[in-house]
Amino acid sequence: METNDVKITKDLQEAVSALAVNLGQSEPFAAYRQAIQALEADPRAGDLLRRLAQAQTAMRTRQSQSGIPQADIDALRHLQREAQANETILSFSESQQAAIAYIREINQEISQMLGVDFGALARRSCC
Amino acid sequence: MDDKALDNLEIAPPEVVLHAAHDFAAALAETPEFKAFEQAAYRLEHDPAAARAREAFMAKRASLEALIRLNAVPAKDQAELDRLAQAYLGLACVTEYQSAETGLRVLCQALAGLISQPTGLDFAAASSSGCCG
Repeated sequence: METNDVKITKDLQEAVSALAVNLGQSEPFAAYRQAIQALEADPRAGDLLRRLAQAQTAMRTRQSQSGIPQADIDALRHLQREAQANETILSFSESQQAAIAYIREINQEISQMLGVDFGALARRSCC
Repeated sequence: MDDKALDNLEIAPPEVVLHAAHDFAAALAETPEFKAFEQAAYRLEHDPAAARAREAFMAKRASLEALIRLNAVPAKDQAELDRLAQAYLGLACVTEYQSAETGLRVLCQALAGLISQPTGLDFAAASSSGCCG
């Protein structure tokens, strides 16, 4: 198999596929997928997340340009509190953190066997 | 999420995922890219000329640390620092190591991409808390 000009042997292809499938079917990822579905089915939560993302982006832009008005800071804090109190968003956030923690655990196992950090080697950019 | 919903899904037990991770690491360790990297890393680590060149560069850099932080390194010292860096980077065992690392990095990036697909999360980005951590 070739992925972006990288040749992957049959053995490695089988091993990576098995890992991908099993990781995707692990409990943390099953919970994460369900949380995504719940988020997609909850327009209020989705709208709240979109508004929060927009406010954070606007805040970052203003921060790099000039000072941020107190009213904007208050509005962002209000949105953050609303998001933290929303059960669908909370459940999504928790399941995402659990899935990330599981990825780290699996990466540690792989890296210990290899003697090098697999995840660090696989990252596309660094400081 | 409620347990009933999870019961309806096909869940891979942790030991199965762990086994798959071990099989994956073993298969990766057998690739020419990984073997080349291991050999290059060993040669670099055991090359006395590389050790001397690295030490010379590190010592010079350490002596200039305060000036580097202030962005006030005199041109003569900067030229010497650059010369020492080039002396190290120009060694055959260093270029071989860099080339082997690049080869392994490209392979690992492709593999991490394949692992990420069914999970919906970027394996490489999620695998550590910081970019250089």
